[in-house]
Amino acid sequence: MTPPLISFYFQVHQPYRLRDLRVTEIGRDGLTYFDDEKNRAIFRKVAEKCYLPANRLMLELLNRHEGFAISYSLSGVFLEQCEEYGQDVLDSFKALAATGKVEFLAETYYHSLSALSSLEEFCEQVEKHVRKIQSLFGFLPNIFRNTELVFNNEIAEIVRLLGFQGILAEGADHLLAGRTPNQPYTTPQFTLPENMQTIIKRHRIHRESPKSIAILLKNYRLSDDVAFRFSDRSWVGFPLHANTFTNWLTASGGHSVNLYMDYETFGEHQWEDTGIFEFLRALPHMWEQWNIATATPSTVIDAWGTRQKEIFDAHTHVSWADIERDLSAWRGNRIQEAAFAGIYGLEEAIKSSQDEALLDVWRKLQTSDHFYYMCTKYWNDGDVHKYFSPYDSPYEAYRRYSHALCDLKTKLAKNQNTKSEIRNL
Amino acid sequence: MAMHSLMFGWEYPPKHLGGLGVACQGLVRGLLKLGNRVTLVLPHGGVDTDDNLDLKFPTESHLQEMRIRSMLQPYDSPATYNARLAQQAAQHPRADVNLYGKDLGSAVWEYEQLAVELTKETDPDVVHSHDWMTLSAGRCAARYHRVPLVAQVHATELDRTNNKPNMWIYDQERKGLRAADRIIAVSNYTKNILVREYGIHESKIDVVHNGAPFAAVSQAHSPHVHQHATKHPMILFVGRLTVQKGPFHFLEAASTVHALKPDVRFVMAGDGYLLSELMDRSLSMGLGDTVIFAGKVSHNEARKLYERASCFVMPSISEPFGLVALEAIAHGTPVILSKQSGVREVIPHSLLVDFWDTEKLADCILTVLRETPLAQQLQSEAPRMLQHLTWENQASKILSVYNKVCLNL
Repeated sequence: MTPPLISFYFQVHQPYRLRDLRVTEIGRDGLTYFDDEKNRAIFRKVAEKCYLPANRLMLELLNRHEGFAISYSLSGVFLEQCEEYGQDVLDSFKALAATGKVEFLAETYYHSLSALSSLEEFCEQVEKHVRKIQSLFGFLPNIFRNTELVFNNEIAEIVRLLGFQGILAEGADHLLAGRTPNQPYTTPQFTLPENMQTIIKRHRIHRESPKSIAILLKNYRLSDDVAFRFSDRSWVGFPLHANTFTNWLTASGGHSVNLYMDYETFGEHQWEDTGIFEFLRALPHMWEQWNIATATPSTVIDAWGTRQKEIFDAHTHVSWADIERDLSAWRGNRIQEAAFAGIYGLEEAIKSSQDEALLDVWRKLQTSDHFYYMCTKYWNDGDVHKYFSPYDSPYEAYRRYSHALCDLKTKLAKNQNTKSEIRNL
Repeated sequence: MAMHSLMFGWEYPPKHLGGLGVACQGLVRGLLKLGNRVTLVLPHGGVDTDDNLDLKFPTESHLQEMRIRSMLQPYDSPATYNARLAQQAAQHPRADVNLYGKDLGSAVWEYEQLAVELTKETDPDVVHSHDWMTLSAGRCAARYHRVPLVAQVHATELDRTNNKPNMWIYDQERKGLRAADRIIAVSNYTKNILVREYGIHESKIDVVHNGAPFAAVSQAHSPHVHQHATKHPMILFVGRLTVQKGPFHFLEAASTVHALKPDVRFVMAGDGYLLSELMDRSLSMGLGDTVIFAGKVSHNEARKLYERASCFVMPSISEPFGLVALEAIAHGTPVILSKQSGVREVIPHSLLVDFWDTEKLADCILTVLRETPLAQQLQSEAPRMLQHLTWENQASKILSVYNKVCLNL
C-alpha cells in the first residue's frame, strides 16, 4: 500500500499590537494606535528565534531533497512588518520562493474575521492579499485558507466562486463523524443569493471556478503532536523522534496527512533547545528513504484527480482554536462582541470617507488577534491566551481597543464636518 | 486527619479594624467546619476591656475562646500607643492597668507571658500565629507544647508604613518569622516581600489566599449600568484613610477625571488619620463638590454605596490582600485594582493599574463609564470567582500546611 502524501503548511503572521492609548489622546491629529517599539521588538525576537533559522533550514532541505515541498500562508500585516522591521526575513522567504517548491496560500490581508461580517470587505482583503503575494513572490495563489481556519459551507462556496481550487479547514471530529481527515472533501451543493454572487464576481481571483472546491483538512492530532506536545515532558510520546513520528504518519494512512501549524512552532513555541530543528531536519531525509512523498495543497488536490469527494458539511463555523474549535476565542464574551460590532459598524463611514489612512488603521484593527486578546473563557486558569497576549489582561486589551475605536469615530465625524463645510462654501 | 490548632489571633469581629479580624474569623470557621478543633486566644483591644464580647458561634462548639487583655492594637504606632496608654491610665483603676507594660515592647512581653499561662491546659497539634503582634506569644506556646509554629502573615510592617518601618516592629517580625517552622502568606505579593525584604527562604512559605467573607449578592437589580443616565456616575473608595491605602492617588485620579467629565462624583468611605489632610487637599484641588467624604460607614451603608457605584477603586500602595475588593465584587461592582495587591491574584476580572499611575487610573475609570459592555462583563464575571474562594476551601489548604509541618516535610 502506498503511504500517504505528507503536506506541510505553515502559518506566518504578526499583528499590530496597540499602544497604551489614553482617553486624553482621542481626536488628536496624527495619533498612532500601534506600539511601534513593541511590534518591532517582538518581530525581531521571533525573527531571530524562528523566521531566520527556520527559513535557513527549509532552504537547505528544499535544496537537498528533490521531492520535498512545503507551503506557507503569510498574512499581509506580517509582510508589511517585514518591510518595516525585517527586510532580511522577507528576503529569506523570497529565497524559498525561488526554489519553485514552495506554494503560497491566499488569506485575508489583515488576518481578519471579515468573513463573519462583511462579504465586500472579505473579498477586498483577499484580493489585496493575492496582489501582494503576486508582487513579492511572483506567485498566484490557488488555495485559500481563512484566518485561524475559520470555515463553514458558505465561506467555502464564496472561496470557490472567487476561483480557488481548494480551501483549508480543521479536521473537526464532529463534522468528520468517524471519517478520516486524510482525504479531500467538498461542500454540499447549494447556491448563494444573487446579491452575494454579484459582489464576489467583482473580486474574482481566477477566471474559472472549479465545479467543486476541495476541502483539505488539518490532521489535528498529528499536527499538534509537533506544534503543542513536542516538548511536553508529561506527554506519553515524549521525546518524539523522527522515525516514531514517521511511523505514526504512515499508520494514519489515507491520501494525505495534512500537517498545518503556526510557523512559530519552530524556535518560538518550541525552543531550539527542545531539538525541534533537528527533528524537522531529520524528516525529509527519512521520508526519502521510506519512499514517502511530500506535497503542497495544490499537488494534494491534483493527485486526488477526478475521484469523487465526500461531503464535509459545516453548517456552523469551525476553526482551529482551542478545544472548542469554534468562534468562541474571538467572539465569546461581551467585550469581544462589542469590539467586533464596533469595528464593522464603521465600514460604511470609513469607505465613504475615501480616506486611505483611516481605511488602513480600520483594517489593521480587524486583525483577529485583537479579539483573541480579549478572550476570557480560560482567563481564570491563565493559559495559552494569556501566554500569547502582550497586555495585562483581556480588559486592558479592550480598553486600548475601545480608545482606538473612539478615535476613529471622532476622526470620521471631523471628516464629515469638513466635507459638509466644503459643500456649503 | 482532624487537627487541634492553638491559634493566637488579634482582632475578631465585631471588634475589628481591618481585614485581619475578618480573615481570622473566616479561617476559624472554615477549620471548624472541616471537623478540626481550634483554641483561639484573643487579647482585648484597649478601650473594649469592659465589653463582654460575645462571639456568637453557635455551631462552633469546639472553639474555646480565651481573651488576654492587652494594650496593643494592630495598627498602632508608638505615639498612638502612648496616647492611649495615658488615656487608659486615667480611666481605669491602677490594678487593672499595671498588668501591661508602659511601652509597646513590654506590652508584647506581657502578652507573651499571659498567652503561655492561659494555654497550659490545652493539648494542641500546632500553634498558629496571626501577624507580628502574636508571634512571640505563639513562639513561647509552641515551645512549651513542643509543637510546630505556623506564622500567618496578613500584612507586614512595610505594607503599613509605605516602606518606612518602625524598626523595632520590623525586627520583631523578622525574628518571629525566622523562628517559625512554616509561614503562610496571604498572597504571592506578600510572599515576595517576605523573601525580598525579610530574607526568608521561599521554600518556607506557602501562599493561601483569603476566602470571600460574603457570597455574591443577587444581581436581580443591577443599577450600576442603568443609572448613569439619570444620576451622577459615582466612583467609590472604601478603606482606612492611611497612606497604605493610597487615598491621595484616588484624589489625583478624581481630579483628572473631573477635568474631563465634571458630572462624576467620588465617594471616600472610611476613617483614618489622614482624613483632615485629605479634605484640605481635595478643597485645594477644587474638588469640594466632587469628592464626598462619607466617614466610617455601617455594613448597610456600605452595601448601598457598592450598589450605587459605577466602579470601585482600590489604589493601595501595598496591599497584602485587600478583602474590600471582594466585598465590592460580591455586590456586582466593577473593580479597578492596584497591581501592588494580593487580591488581584484571585480576581482576574478586573482592571489593573500601578498605584502611582493616577493618569491611567483615571483612564480606566473613564473607560468603565464610557464602555457599558466592559462594565457589564466585569460585573457578571468577577463574582463567579467568589464561588471558589470559600473559607472552607482555604481552610483545607491551611490544613495541608499543618499536616506538612507536623510530619516535618
